Amino acid sequence: MKLRSPIITLLTGAALAVALWIASMTAATSATTGYGASATQTPTAAPTVPASTSPASSPSPAAATSSPAPSETTSGGFVIPDHANYVGPVQAGGGAIAISLHDNVAIAYYCNGAAIEEWMKGVPKHGRLTLTGKNGAHAEVNYALGHARGQVHVDGFSYTFSVIAVHKPSGLYQSIAVVRGATVKAGWIVLADGREVGSIELDPNATAPKAQKAPPLNLTTLQANDGGVTITATPIDAETGSGF
Amino acid sequence: MAAQFGTPDPQATRRDPIYQPDSVAKILVIPALIGCAVALTIGLYGKLHHATGIAVNIAGFSSPGSVKAWLATVAAVLALVQVGSALVMYGKVPRVTAPSWIGGLHKWSGRIAFIACVPAAVHCVYALGFADYSTRVLIHSVLGCLFFGAFTVKMLVLPKRGVPGWVLPVLGAIVFAALILIWFTSAYWFFSTFGIKR
Repeated sequence: MKLRSPIITLLTGAALAVALWIASMTAATSATTGYGASATQTPTAAPTVPASTSPASSPSPAAATSSPAPSETTSGGFVIPDHANYVGPVQAGGGAIAISLHDNVAIAYYCNGAAIEEWMKGVPKHGRLTLTGKNGAHAEVNYALGHARGQVHVDGFSYTFSVIAVHKPSGLYQSIAVVRGATVKAGWIVLADGREVGSIELDPNATAPKAQKAPPLNLTTLQANDGGVTITATPIDAETGSGF
Repeated sequence: MAAQFGTPDPQATRRDPIYQPDSVAKILVIPALIGCAVALTIGLYGKLHHATGIAVNIAGFSSPGSVKAWLATVAAVLALVQVGSALVMYGKVPRVTAPSWIGGLHKWSGRIAFIACVPAAVHCVYALGFADYSTRVLIHSVLGCLFFGAFTVKMLVLPKRGVPGWVLPVLGAIVFAALILIWFTSAYWFFSTFGIKR
């Protein structure tokens, strides 16, 4: 029987879907196969990390060399630290992610410096880490000494990241304060080049907290001025355990 | 085009003396079941498969989200063309007689709209999965599955003879309503949240 044109339309769509599906599987596999054959244990920023955060071009003291933690383990030839702070921008979308892990607790914060941000928690396990937050936000991370990569899913969007380990003053900062009678929860990600990305939740206990750009954080005093009220931030630092 | 309007093809009747139009239920049941299977397959795959967050990206756009928002917008605009051309074909627009090219316009705008939806849908299903964490995403997920099921039914019914006149307008209306609601729960939300950007 001769194929009718509506059937051809359907088959064309189905063929396109299958082709994109196969291409997506290839894309996802190449992005998630851990650290590949480049069995380097020194921190190397992946080529996908923008140059501004790579160690070579970073003028700040927060160079991406992570000193080995005392009790780190190895997994698949990679040194898996017990304590580490990772920060960096995500690919596309303009946001940044910070991941701090301290023994068996990990905290991650995704933030675009405006309305889209999410706090997530998880349990690190031999170089792999799954974090969850409110509204279905989650992240899957592979980490090793000096470097973490994975995907973060926030508000229906997914971002791939490949980020480096950092030391203070780069890292993650949090402030929970009462401003004009209401609790606010602010988070700042300080990137390796010193850039700050921060958002503030105006009602952190809501199921879907609304957020806006956070006031700039002074990294010397750890204070920020939220509309005339001074709020104080706590570093979430895996090396000292502060904020965990 | 005659088959689209539900009248048995007179040529076929003349060629085949024992040609009998099938009963309505018999004509519609197979396409309806296949449509259900398509919708269920998409939904179950989206729910059961672990969302990867990654899919192929299209160059020239800032993020997968913006690609999808623009593809959905193209499809939504073409869907309006679909309704307009269908109304003209059915003679529902006063003082407008259907021009000869209206069938071609309807077919090709529909084809392009459908093809524009496919990459967005593949990204949704593969990278994000069937989700229910807010009303918006739940409506979007359910209607996304419904849309492809209903579209499949419409495509399978189109070439059939003896289809009652109400079937194609109803199927078209379901497809159109689903697509517009899908657009509102995705592209409209995207543009109003992030701004209209490429």
